[in-house]
Amino acid sequence: MLDFLSEHGAGLCGTSHLKRREFLQVGALSALGLSLPQYMAAKETGAVRQGHDENACILLFNLGGPSHVDLWDMKPDAASEVRGPFRPIRTKSPEIQISEVLPLHAKIADQFSLVRSCHHDGAAVHDAGWQMMQTGRRFTGGVQTPHMGSVASHLLGRRSDLPAFVVLPELMGRGGGNLPNGQAGGFLGKAHDPFALMADPSKPNFKVPDLLPPDQIGALRMERRQKMRAVVESAVREFESSEDARLMDENFHAAFQLMTSEQARNAFDLSKEPDSVRDRYGRNRFGQSCLLARRLVEAGVRFVTVNTFLTVFGETTWDIHGSKPFTSIDGMKNVVCPLYDQAYSALIEDLQQRGMLQKTMVAALSEFGRTPKVNPAGGRDHWPQCFTVSFAGGGVKGGRVVGKSDPVGGFPAERPVMPGDLVATIFHSLGLDHETFLPGPAGRPFPLVDLGRAPIRELFT
Amino acid sequence: MRAPSPLRLLLPAAAIAFLAAAAHATPVPLLANAAISSPAKPSLVPQTAPAGGWSFQRHVLPVLTKAGCNTGGCHGALAGKGGFRLSLSAYDPDADHLSITRDALGRRIEPGDPLHSLLLTKPTSAAPHKGGKRLDPHSDDYRILAEWVAAGAPGPNADDPHLDRIEVRPDRLTSKKGEKLRLQVLAHYTDGIVEDVTRWAKFTSTDETMLKVSDPNGGIEVTGHGEGAVTAWFSSRIVMSRVVSPFPRASSSAATGKDGTLWKEVNLVDKAVNAQLRQLNLVPSPPADDATFLRRARLDTTGVLPSPEETRAFLTDTSPEKRNQLIERLLNSPEFADYWTYRWSDLFLVSGSHLRPQAVKTYSKWLHAEVEKNTPWDRLVRQVVTAKGGSLEQGATNFYAVHQEPEAMAENISQAFMGLSINCAKCHNHPLEKWTNDQYYAFANLFAQVRAKGWGGDTRSGDGKRTLYTVPSGELIQPRTGRPQPAAPLDAPPLPQGEGDRREALADWLTSPQNPYFTRAIVNRVWAAFWGIGIVNSVDDLRASNPATNEALMEGLAACLVENRYDLKSLMRVILQSASYQRSSAAIEENKSDSKYFARYYPRRLMSEALSDAISHVTGVPETFTEIQMQDGSSEKTDLYPKGSRALQLYDSAVKSYFLKAFGRNQREITCECERSNQPSIVQALHLSNGNTLNDKLAAKEGAVSALLSAWKDRSSDATLVEEAFLKCLGRFPRTDETAAYLKILKDAPESERRQSVEDLFWSLLTSREFLFQH
Repeated sequence: MLDFLSEHGAGLCGTSHLKRREFLQVGALSALGLSLPQYMAAKETGAVRQGHDENACILLFNLGGPSHVDLWDMKPDAASEVRGPFRPIRTKSPEIQISEVLPLHAKIADQFSLVRSCHHDGAAVHDAGWQMMQTGRRFTGGVQTPHMGSVASHLLGRRSDLPAFVVLPELMGRGGGNLPNGQAGGFLGKAHDPFALMADPSKPNFKVPDLLPPDQIGALRMERRQKMRAVVESAVREFESSEDARLMDENFHAAFQLMTSEQARNAFDLSKEPDSVRDRYGRNRFGQSCLLARRLVEAGVRFVTVNTFLTVFGETTWDIHGSKPFTSIDGMKNVVCPLYDQAYSALIEDLQQRGMLQKTMVAALSEFGRTPKVNPAGGRDHWPQCFTVSFAGGGVKGGRVVGKSDPVGGFPAERPVMPGDLVATIFHSLGLDHETFLPGPAGRPFPLVDLGRAPIRELFT
Repeated sequence: MRAPSPLRLLLPAAAIAFLAAAAHATPVPLLANAAISSPAKPSLVPQTAPAGGWSFQRHVLPVLTKAGCNTGGCHGALAGKGGFRLSLSAYDPDADHLSITRDALGRRIEPGDPLHSLLLTKPTSAAPHKGGKRLDPHSDDYRILAEWVAAGAPGPNADDPHLDRIEVRPDRLTSKKGEKLRLQVLAHYTDGIVEDVTRWAKFTSTDETMLKVSDPNGGIEVTGHGEGAVTAWFSSRIVMSRVVSPFPRASSSAATGKDGTLWKEVNLVDKAVNAQLRQLNLVPSPPADDATFLRRARLDTTGVLPSPEETRAFLTDTSPEKRNQLIERLLNSPEFADYWTYRWSDLFLVSGSHLRPQAVKTYSKWLHAEVEKNTPWDRLVRQVVTAKGGSLEQGATNFYAVHQEPEAMAENISQAFMGLSINCAKCHNHPLEKWTNDQYYAFANLFAQVRAKGWGGDTRSGDGKRTLYTVPSGELIQPRTGRPQPAAPLDAPPLPQGEGDRREALADWLTSPQNPYFTRAIVNRVWAAFWGIGIVNSVDDLRASNPATNEALMEGLAACLVENRYDLKSLMRVILQSASYQRSSAAIEENKSDSKYFARYYPRRLMSEALSDAISHVTGVPETFTEIQMQDGSSEKTDLYPKGSRALQLYDSAVKSYFLKAFGRNQREITCECERSNQPSIVQALHLSNGNTLNDKLAAKEGAVSALLSAWKDRSSDATLVEEAFLKCLGRFPRTDETAAYLKILKDAPESERRQSVEDLFWSLLTSREFLFQH
């Protein structure tokens, strides 16, 4: 059965009736991109540490770039044009003070740790930061490096019928820089692209689009369709030279695997959650996406990215330039912060109560922070020179602060950290050795992160 | 507190020079005096400063640039770093000189005690420096800074000779995998001096899969096969050295192509493609058969599948001219105008996300009429650039309703019609490009006198009526100087002062055959529409440092388009008629590594709208388009699209459609072909398998399945039915083994399942890759 993918012509269109159960067995082993053998190989070479099989990561990508000075790295003693309109409050951790606009964060501050000295040297445009913060590198010389989730998909493969890497609720859209956004498999191949939900889980009657066949297509018809399709698909020599064509084929197999899996159906079924839990996360797109992320991790997905927003244009986001089509500082306070505060605290609490937090890292990253000085429109602009990110779970000890920014939050003052270090930290939590090599373009070996970048070990000890 | 200098000695400049030179086993040649007449190496010159002393602009700034002092992450940041601010990559020498010599109470330089200058103690880490050690105290670069300080730190002068051009040697070479090479960069100054600036240049590989910069002083290593380039940047100028590394020769008899069909050359496309293939040891695939060519040319030229009747007629036609006749039919078909209007609408951002419905319609109708008339591209673009009048009468003025600020107008004109992104230069000189901050504001100032009244831009309400006009005065301020930058096209002298619409002068410059970007950009866009990839990739990225994969091909087609006065159909004809375009998409042993040199046609998934239309076309059930998706997530009804409208006839990319979105249509938010995705995904496979698009259309009472079943009621005619389905879906006859296999499955279905089994037959063909791809 392991040879299924390479001989699918004969496999699926044999004469015997193929039952759902067999679909399932076939599916369970034929992970996208034949990752099972890679996983075995990765284990053998020591790229994956023992005891990390069930580790997973939920990446909350704070699209737009939250204002570190207004949220997580406040400067109450700085001049008024730096400190902004908000006041710091005390939290459950003696080491952490955060902004009054994140009151629910304050109650669980013993669970997460902040890194206040992140910076990157890419351009101050959204797309560049998206690339660096999700892949650890800026794309140069025509080489597109893979998303962390794609690396996990490649090295670890899937653990269940569900894809290894899922993006909720949709892939991020445009950032205005006309650059690739780093939310793809890059040189590992499109087979390691994420499965993107393409739907809003907060909508009434939410379901994964097209997960199940319509009623009139029963098992018999499904089988007939497969047999017929195998006839015309059997001689497509010219397509084998095209990566996209190979991928389309793999996508059809992955689709069948999803649609015939009880496990997958259950994982995506938010109606199985009590109303109280759904309310706790917040009945909005981001809140319900966080809840869905927890269900997916429970069902074996290794990496889930939740995009807090889909684009910085015409949506109320973290991108608080102060004027249209972007967001005002009040928009952040009144719309963005409440929904983020609610969903984040719900997710951490929920994982904790279910005993999943130890094995599930929740990383909240963004493409950059914002200018220390408030601009004439009352907002703040892009600032990759210094910003704050947070980590919880997955082995991270909570309640602490790593690194320090200067008195205005303009530059790291202690323990500067680059995107490659953050990515290495997540790999470390997943049990992946950051010095492992990936097969890069033209056979060139590519380390998981660039030389010199390393996990932030003080988060774990 | 002052840190001790690395040498801890106070020495005159000459002594420093001596010490530094002595520290070097092999001195690096610094200067080549006279202009060089042959490609021989510039002669070695003494290590001492030239007669006029070290120049701030020529020597000091390049040293700082190479050391990384003025990058965006260091002192080149807008706010500087550690109180020391330099202009990004030295774009503002006057400000830099001031900052070095005057700011910080002048402590950065100590002319009487040069080695104690912060300018030297910081980068050598003799004094604490957050940026670490950037400069070796034993290097020539260190010595240059020291001697310049000792000489009193002279600043830039208005009558200094300036940089005329830079040159890289060699600029083209053939090498092979594993070889290491060395490049040399020469700077030519207006006073005739030529300097070897190799060690100050910044080298970048344009394709790291085959070329690597192995050391920062011009060393490169060939790591793969193909044609790539290394760019060398010095003082905001860029030059390129192209490297050819042939693929290993595959030995096969097919490669000889005895009958001459393999290497056939119909026109300039084939000459350029074949020449490059030979150089790279690649062999082209054999010609495609007639059925494949018909389907491919139809989809690429009109976005529509051939009908069974058309396929039958084409296959039985025995005329040797039938492919050329087909090409003419396609270029003159009504679907041609629909398809290319749609493609260009991506470029013009025709979308309900930016405009009110009536304006969207006017904009689109104008474009459609121009495409139908085959208005030459230069005249079409001129209409847009110089548009005036009401948005509901003069469709082209809507370009200026989508882009309302001079900066946005400039950026989008440049992006759409020259493939150049100048956005970075809004805040600073483009770090790796030639565009300066001054050029950006000079260009944007061309639009400073554009005004509009009426509808303001709220896409939720209003009549969308906006009248565009120009006024005789008004300037855009360049924020760095606080003064207007005299209006000028990129790379052109400022416009003469005077009244009149500045955009007329811009249009003259933009659409002139002497403007290389304009012609290359549209050639590249058209080529990419036929091949799936451009000659320059991506199609929105024609910057000087991004080489064409086949420069001769690009130049040939650009010249051809100019000769044909920007008639795009003439360009398409050359592409369609070429032997290269008419090759099979099946790889052969001798070209299987090729993915960009056009050794065969590359299969790709049908574009979203064409695929939606193809499914409607085959099933006989049209799609309905009744709602517009607003930016805030809500929807608005629309009655602009009568039943039977094809997706490629929509004016608007904001028309609601799960199918079009899932298959990656261009949302037309920004001027970029990158918004469109032809990439397959699981979501698409799920939708084709389980979604309503395909299943509902196959089950529809009025659809093609019903029609076929009533025409061939008897199951004995199933073979005909299979044949008809193949012709409809795949544009070819089934092979005998395919017919036999289908007949067996159909026969196994009980009579009561007859309809369903025929639906399933269609489903299998419509989800096959042969259908989903053009090939």
